[in-house]
Amino acid sequence: MALVVLLAVAAFSYTFYVVSHGGPADPFWGVVMKGVKDAAEKFGVEAVYLGPEKFSLKEFIDLVNAAIAKKPDGLVVTITNPVALDEPLRRAIEMGIPVVAINVPDDRPIDQKIPYLCYVGMDEYLAGVYAARRMLQEFTPKRAVIAIHEPGHAGLEARAKGITDVLKEKKIPVEKLDITTDPTKALTLLKSYLAKYPDTDAIFTLGPLGAHPAIQLVEEEKLVGKVKIGAIDLTTKITDAIKKGVVVFTIDQQQYLQGYLPIVFLYLYKEYGLIPHENVLTGPSIVDKSNVDIVEKTVQLGYR
Amino acid sequence: MTKEKVILESLRIKEFGAIVGVAIFLVMFSLLSNRFLTAENLFNTLTMAAELGIISIGVAMLIISGEFDLSVGSVFAVAPMVFATMINANLNPYFSLLAALLVCVGIGVVNGTVTLKTGIPSFITTLGMMMFWRGILLAVTGGFPIILSRRVDMLQYLGGRVVGGLRYSAIWFLILAFVFWIVLEKTRFGNWVFATGGNPGAARALGISTDRVKLTNFIFSSVLAGFSGLTTFARFRLVDPTFGQELELEAIASAVMGGTLLTGGYGSVVGASIGAFMISMVRNGLVLAGAPAYWYRAFIGVILIVAAVINARIRKKVAG
Repeated sequence: MALVVLLAVAAFSYTFYVVSHGGPADPFWGVVMKGVKDAAEKFGVEAVYLGPEKFSLKEFIDLVNAAIAKKPDGLVVTITNPVALDEPLRRAIEMGIPVVAINVPDDRPIDQKIPYLCYVGMDEYLAGVYAARRMLQEFTPKRAVIAIHEPGHAGLEARAKGITDVLKEKKIPVEKLDITTDPTKALTLLKSYLAKYPDTDAIFTLGPLGAHPAIQLVEEEKLVGKVKIGAIDLTTKITDAIKKGVVVFTIDQQQYLQGYLPIVFLYLYKEYGLIPHENVLTGPSIVDKSNVDIVEKTVQLGYR
Repeated sequence: MTKEKVILESLRIKEFGAIVGVAIFLVMFSLLSNRFLTAENLFNTLTMAAELGIISIGVAMLIISGEFDLSVGSVFAVAPMVFATMINANLNPYFSLLAALLVCVGIGVVNGTVTLKTGIPSFITTLGMMMFWRGILLAVTGGFPIILSRRVDMLQYLGGRVVGGLRYSAIWFLILAFVFWIVLEKTRFGNWVFATGGNPGAARALGISTDRVKLTNFIFSSVLAGFSGLTTFARFRLVDPTFGQELELEAIASAVMGGTLLTGGYGSVVGASIGAFMISMVRNGLVLAGAPAYWYRAFIGVILIVAAVINARIRKKVAG
């Protein structure tokens, strides 16, 4: 019996903890968890995933503290709230636990930043920049509108700013439109915007809550080809629309890598002291007609 | 009739403030945009107003009888969620529709019963229900939309196109506003609603079962909210767990703009409908006028307060 236990311990060279603000019920985090599991199997390490069932900052911080108390060989954590995580993570780093950030970085200035080893995730601003560039590759819009469903949301505003900065450089008029999270309002307001500025030929949406009504509008009003949609995020409705040519492209953040890579990095760090510098970007990755079939298949397999 | 009498008579119309408001904005936006005063835009506005308007009807009825319902925004999402899940499980569409509406009846009954039996304010009961159902929606869907997986012809008559930008949801809105106007203004039940909200003690002394009146209105409020959610679902064929957020407050705003008193006993279903139309008109009008996108919320806030003040003044004047 004792022998079995010893063998089991020996089988796992290291134990890593992954703590995120997203629970197992969220399909987005299900993909991350799969990445963690696959990497742990491949490298023969133990990886424990912790996340609150429903979003709760307090519970999340409790889980982070619980993970630190276990003195793991490595800790992977989303910097959902840099202020609340500052004390526990600095303590962990002082204890000698290597920390890797995923999904949300510590966006404070460098002198206040939690000194984690590196960040694995998407840059929201770049997502906007790449979205605009991909649209320019398709055609040069006369006028563009950015449908924002939650004004003031830091991530969405950063995406919008990325789009605006690129288009402004090309002197293309671009404006944000507050479409709300309600689909009927979103559709009507976009329709009114198109009536007000009939030269609008590009709609950027910043998430499914914008993409779905925009797709509906273009289909209902038979504007396919006349008004092109560029989306961010992945749903089956969006991939279907890409196949039909209603949406030109969407941006994916490849969150599988946000689970897989930190385990690889921590393993290499413990083993050889190797670690990438600063940010490792898993997105923006562009999904369009050229790769939508593969993407769809990998969605079904749980890799996206 | 003297001129003064005419003015006083028109002030007696409960919807007077809302009608004047709509007229003012109509003129204002027509001057700001030549695309505003077109049939197409009127249809768009009415369609956009429909989803809020249908909810406002029930909310106004309930407020007049002296209670609140904050759970309507969540119910707006629960009904289509039940419907979509059942349809995707290959159940009969009519049966699914009935089941979805019955769930709403159930929520209304729980709202009413808990409020009336325990004596806690409906503000709290329905706030709790709002959170509870929103939580259930998030937990069940994991945050992702449920997409209708097959064609259901019936949905055409809930949210399909009638002509141009006019949708069946707008037709339903007009029909329901008319039906509930009759219920509130022309039936005995309507009188009971006013009495229950205005002076519950006197109402009970007259033999009105105020609890039953309130319970009925809780059910109306829930069912109308669910029905409104179904018309939206019928158009988009998918339902997000965020569906209907903040609609509960917009519905209260519509009722207030339409002349309904938050303290109960006074108000109008038609007024609430006009209030919903006004909110929709302003939102749409600002876009057509090319106003910066982020100003809308501030604008509506001001209108709400101004409308409430004007309505209060009018009532004072009429009451002498």
